[in-house]
Amino acid sequence: MMDILSQLDFTFFLLASIGTLIGIIFGAIPGMTATMAVAVCLPLTYALGLEHGLSLLLGLYVGGISGGMVPAVLLNIPGTPSSITTTFDGYPMAQKGEGERALRVCVVASLVGGLISAAVLFLFAPLLAEFSIKFSYVEKFLIILLALTVIASMSNNMLVGIFSGAIGVWLSLIGTYSLSDGGNGNTRLMFDFMEPYLFEGFSLLPVLIGIFGISTILLEAESGVKSSLTGQKIKIGKEGGFSLSIFKGRLTNLVRSSFIGTFVGMLPGVGGSAASVLAYTQEKNLSRDSSEMGKGAPQGLIASESANNALTGGALIPLLSLGIPGDSTTAVLIGAFTLQGIQVGPLFIPENTDTWYIMMVALVAANIVMFLLMFYAIKYIARVVLVPKYLLYPLIVMMCVVGAYAINYGIMFDVWTLMIFGVLGYLVQKVGLEVAPLIIGFILGSSAEVYFVKSLESFGTLSIFFTKSPIAVVLWGLIAASVIFSIVMGLKSRTRRQLEMSQ
Amino acid sequence: MEASSNSPLSVSIDFETSHLFFPHIIHWVLAVLFVLVLLFRVAPFLAAVKRGEKALPILGESRDNFRFFGTLVLIVAYFYLMSVVGNFFPYTGYGFLITSVVFLFLMSLMYMHTRTRRKVVTAAINAVVAPTLAWVIFAKVFYITLP
Repeated sequence: MMDILSQLDFTFFLLASIGTLIGIIFGAIPGMTATMAVAVCLPLTYALGLEHGLSLLLGLYVGGISGGMVPAVLLNIPGTPSSITTTFDGYPMAQKGEGERALRVCVVASLVGGLISAAVLFLFAPLLAEFSIKFSYVEKFLIILLALTVIASMSNNMLVGIFSGAIGVWLSLIGTYSLSDGGNGNTRLMFDFMEPYLFEGFSLLPVLIGIFGISTILLEAESGVKSSLTGQKIKIGKEGGFSLSIFKGRLTNLVRSSFIGTFVGMLPGVGGSAASVLAYTQEKNLSRDSSEMGKGAPQGLIASESANNALTGGALIPLLSLGIPGDSTTAVLIGAFTLQGIQVGPLFIPENTDTWYIMMVALVAANIVMFLLMFYAIKYIARVVLVPKYLLYPLIVMMCVVGAYAINYGIMFDVWTLMIFGVLGYLVQKVGLEVAPLIIGFILGSSAEVYFVKSLESFGTLSIFFTKSPIAVVLWGLIAASVIFSIVMGLKSRTRRQLEMSQ
Repeated sequence: MEASSNSPLSVSIDFETSHLFFPHIIHWVLAVLFVLVLLFRVAPFLAAVKRGEKALPILGESRDNFRFFGTLVLIVAYFYLMSVVGNFFPYTGYGFLITSVVFLFLMSLMYMHTRTRRKVVTAAINAVVAPTLAWVIFAKVFYITLP
């Protein structure tokens, strides 16, 4: 225990604060997300030690998710997808001159959501890890299959989701079937001239930075980098008006929304908007006085913001216990962990207990810093929303380059990977495929191959995937359930659409 | 990977070709999914395009061509010249520093909708200060390799 305390020096908390601040700024600028914040700031962690790197990254994550509330309330633009429901009640409040009050409600809700999910993470992740430690290759393969089906079934369209995931898996197979994984070391899915560059396949982090950084820039450039915000005045409203009594009688809402957020966060690949939308509609359905929601009711803000901040702890659960990222930000985190020499998976918590506790401290610290920064300095932070994009975007491209180039100690091909996947990410979003399943497929694809092929090599029959253990059967049940769920939801929305058409 | 005769589910994988086993399956999965996507998503979508209800992505949409292609050209030139210039000054990171200053300034100019003196000066200051700061922090303080 003393070891841990000695790691928690001043720098640790300073980095957590810096990370949170940068994260808030990224989250507050519309079009930029927590994922981008983590991706762009990755090179900063290369030179830091494990603990310090973690505190910076978790700060970025928490800050990035929280920052989205600022433009949501003040400008009616969600800063990140997960603050979409914050606009419903936040903007009406800001128009009434209650901007600061609205933001402070959001900040408190965010803190509670973040801390509840951190507590769930702390209690639940070790249990799940202990449970999954006994998994053989068969169950591990099925877990990945389950993760991919869940992602797909949560996409707008399941077929498109699965297709995107399969493309991600395919991309991950480029390169060698690695000898260290028991493969034969031969390359596949490429032409001979590509071998010097792609022998190891595409590196994870340049791929992620390209897809989340460069393609965003391309999408913005396409629409002309409109500075729709210039000339807009930010009305933060009058001082005060906030007291904790707003939360009176809202405890159920707060706790329910936090748990919804945590749970949605756990499901792999489900974006933040799902969590806040679900929490918001639940509050609308269950609360006795929901008539004011949408016109500027604090309870809507509470539901939305506690849910989206609860995502953080939730998304870390499958990451730390199974090695499966819960959303696109944790997908980037997995890369950053690998860089620090951490292999996330069932063995992570039992073998790195100190690191695990340090992570928890960093997560809680980041939430508290987020609270302090945003509660007391919200007025100043709100101004970053107006930073002109013509200054910001070139900077982002530059940071992407640093991140990609330095990752493998100076390989120019990694910088070109940025470009390839930047363009690919742009095209994928243009033709209507989904980025999240693709990325998760890419991250899990090569392990899926190893688990699948090894299972067959040792058992020699496909039936082993059904008969290996009771857990395998349960996993198949879950896979079937998520497929059926998605089909039923698809049919429901189709009949609803037809009803609307006929009316 | 031919199925042996004793059970329809039996599989044996030849080590020599084991690197192709999984990709082969994925190809089939992709092919089947692609056909399904064509049938259920692309065909209805194209029908809607024909009726004039929807626009084709990329081709049928309005786009700021100058900024879009300008961004692509600038980024490619930036990446390419970075290593070219970097080769003149190996292991110093000057390639990164010099090309970044130029790139930041040009991209800022391109993204501005109105060019006032004040905006251009801000962009110029940003273009000089930011890469220098990044270069000092990464190359000098952290000893991270830059082109």
